[in-house]
Amino acid sequence: MASPEKIGITVSAAGHAGVFLWAVLGGWLFQPQPSEPVEMAEVSLMSESEFAAISAAAEAAASRAPVAAPEAPSPPAAPEVPEPEQPPAGQPAESAQATPEPPAPDAQPDAAPDVSEPTPPAAARSEAPPTPPLPPVEEPSATILTEISPRPRPRPAPRVAPTPAEAPEPDAQVSETAEAETRPEPTPEPEPVPEPPREEAAPPEATTEIVTEATETDEAPESSAPLATSRPRPRPARPARPAPQADSPPAETRTAETRTAAAERGKPAAPAREDVVADALAEALASEQAAKPAAGQGRAASGPPMTSGEKDALRLAVQACWNTGSLSSDALQVTVTVRVLMSPDGRPQSNSIEMLGYEGGSQAAARQAYEAARRAIIRCGANGYDLPAEKYDQWDEIEMIFNPTNMRIK
Amino acid sequence: MFRHLTLALALAGAAFAAAPLAAQDGPLRLEITEGVIEPLPYAVPAFVAENSAAQKYATEISRVVASDLSGTGLFREIPASAHIARVTSFDAPVGYADWKAVNAEALITGAVSVSGDRLTVKFRLYDIYSGQQLGEGLQFAATTASWRRMAHKVADAAYSRITGEGAYFDSRVVFVAETGPKNARQKRLAVMDYDGANVQYLTDSSTIVLAPRFSPTGDRVLYTSFETGFPRIKLLNVASVTAQLLPETPGTMTFAPRFSPDGRQVVYSLEQGGNTDIWKMDLNTGQSARLTNTPSIETGPSYSPDGSRIVFESDRSGTQQLYIMSASGGEPTRISFGQGRYGTPVWSPRGDLIAFTKQNEGRFHIGVMRTDGSEERLLTASFLDEGPTWAPNGRVIMFTRETAGAGGEPRLYSVDITGRNLKVVPTAGAASDPAWSPLLP
Repeated sequence: MASPEKIGITVSAAGHAGVFLWAVLGGWLFQPQPSEPVEMAEVSLMSESEFAAISAAAEAAASRAPVAAPEAPSPPAAPEVPEPEQPPAGQPAESAQATPEPPAPDAQPDAAPDVSEPTPPAAARSEAPPTPPLPPVEEPSATILTEISPRPRPRPAPRVAPTPAEAPEPDAQVSETAEAETRPEPTPEPEPVPEPPREEAAPPEATTEIVTEATETDEAPESSAPLATSRPRPRPARPARPAPQADSPPAETRTAETRTAAAERGKPAAPAREDVVADALAEALASEQAAKPAAGQGRAASGPPMTSGEKDALRLAVQACWNTGSLSSDALQVTVTVRVLMSPDGRPQSNSIEMLGYEGGSQAAARQAYEAARRAIIRCGANGYDLPAEKYDQWDEIEMIFNPTNMRIK
Repeated sequence: MFRHLTLALALAGAAFAAAPLAAQDGPLRLEITEGVIEPLPYAVPAFVAENSAAQKYATEISRVVASDLSGTGLFREIPASAHIARVTSFDAPVGYADWKAVNAEALITGAVSVSGDRLTVKFRLYDIYSGQQLGEGLQFAATTASWRRMAHKVADAAYSRITGEGAYFDSRVVFVAETGPKNARQKRLAVMDYDGANVQYLTDSSTIVLAPRFSPTGDRVLYTSFETGFPRIKLLNVASVTAQLLPETPGTMTFAPRFSPDGRQVVYSLEQGGNTDIWKMDLNTGQSARLTNTPSIETGPSYSPDGSRIVFESDRSGTQQLYIMSASGGEPTRISFGQGRYGTPVWSPRGDLIAFTKQNEGRFHIGVMRTDGSEERLLTASFLDEGPTWAPNGRVIMFTRETAGAGGEPRLYSVDITGRNLKVVPTAGAASDPAWSPLLP
């Protein structure tokens, strides 16, 4: 009876004693191994000219002396490099141990690799004290100068679009829309009419900018670093704040409309304050009444407003068809405002498209600009724009401003 | 006080009420600022031959129209093999849906009839997506021999109507046709259609000729001839192919002539005693007047389209640069300040740009800049590009490109002022020094 209990107590006591001992002595017995000191040494930098001098000497020595001479000058950064530690056998040497010296040429494989040691060749190379003579350096500058990767340059393509299309496969036909290659099905069943074979097609290759021959054949890759830093722009002089309009937005952020509105609001600054308030109230009430649709005529949009994402999607869709490539340079100066009525299925009503106004050019130029805009709206809306049907009230009438500032010949 | 408070509250309330209304009122507004630049797809089905004699011209004319339009780089032809609709009658209604299905945005239909040696071409242009005819249909008539000009006229009308640019297909180019090896090259003046067709030679190859220039009406050509052993300016009548030397002072050399926009005066370079300056001559009286007087070399003068100013090259600053002065002489203003050397300036017929040759870092470029020297753009780059000349509409530039090496020879090239659509102008052999005529009447 008592013996099992005793055994339990004994085991418990022994366990507790063990834990106590470990807690007290563990720190002393199982001290963490001190990490091996990291050896540090200075690495001196050398200039291009020094390197050129050294490598020239090396080249001269190499050309004069037989290749096997072990006393040949060491490579540029080698003298200061700490002696790499001998890695434990079998452990692969870190590639970082490779000294900055150029890899030894294969022509000297007998630079004393210890055959009996199964050390990897990299370690063997690093432990060979006499550095093999440098191979003749053809272009010293090429090893010193950091390679500047050429700036990515768009390929010339007949189409310039804001988003470049993938280059088509060599054997693919260029089509307006991407199409997967289809082949007639091999099944002998006559029931499903096999699709006529269509050639694989890719969207027309496009670039993001006009590439002229002058830019295309610019051979020397330029550094991507700016050649000079531009001076920071001076802060624009703060305009004198109109005293009575404390809550008006800062001048530089105002749009044209708000500016005129503010100007109108700011006009009656001279009259007595009472008049100001009375006028403003009358104006606000008048505009409120004007905004209210009279019974039976006009209509205010209802429902949730279009999100900016939905608007952007529509804008991108129209942009994809707004081709300014065939417009004259005069027509590219004209910003046209076009109004279009939309059908509930998202298609523009072709005969409703009209030019509301234009600015920046002659009437003839505006006509070309308007026709290009009209083609864009109709062409990309032929299958209906992707618009939220429940918000039809918001987009049943759209005004689009086609501003070609970014599309001009530059 | 209380009244003020009431008013203020009422005002605030009104503003709150009005704000959401204003936000929702009116149509959805979008600003489109990015588009695509690509050739406009169009279709030119073979023109309808209205009688059997017109059969051989109908297809040819529609091919030349397509070649003109596609050659601009601004248009892309939908090949006839892709057409769904067939145009069998000039007055038949257009099946817009069929053309839309092949992605054509513009359609040109035409008809040709021949009676005797009179050729009549009529055409209409349609905007497929808006389902409308663009402008009125037009009709041209001429002799059958000039059927290519009729085709160019049709293409000109369509091009202008769609792009808004001026026309230029119905124009000619005078150039120096070259034969023989580089060290013994024979040069003759020749004139051709802008697309390289219909070449006619104006001089024989007995003497070296250089730098021909059309008069503003296209009936005369100025050029530099070496028939006396020294460069001298000759004036050639294109119709009669007869040439005469311009009067000059003995012991001088004259070269680089160009007409004034009214065609009455010639501006040119005159070398006397090792110094070259710019002079002008009245063609009616033969009177000449000196426009520059410096010890440096001034040459390559070109009038502005209004005739008020002259752009020229000069090395007075130490390197070759471009300068502008009044047409009556006076102190010039330097306009080129970039790297390298600038030469052979030519004022655009539209007056907005100056084309030039630029030499920089061992390469030659054809470029354009504004008349104040701003917005310089290089359009080409090669071993040797030089001598730009403007199309009548100021949208295209033709120039000489010479290839390197002993077997290198000059060829004519054209490029759009956007720098796109660089292409060779087909000529039978080597050719250099092109000068574009005005649009033919």
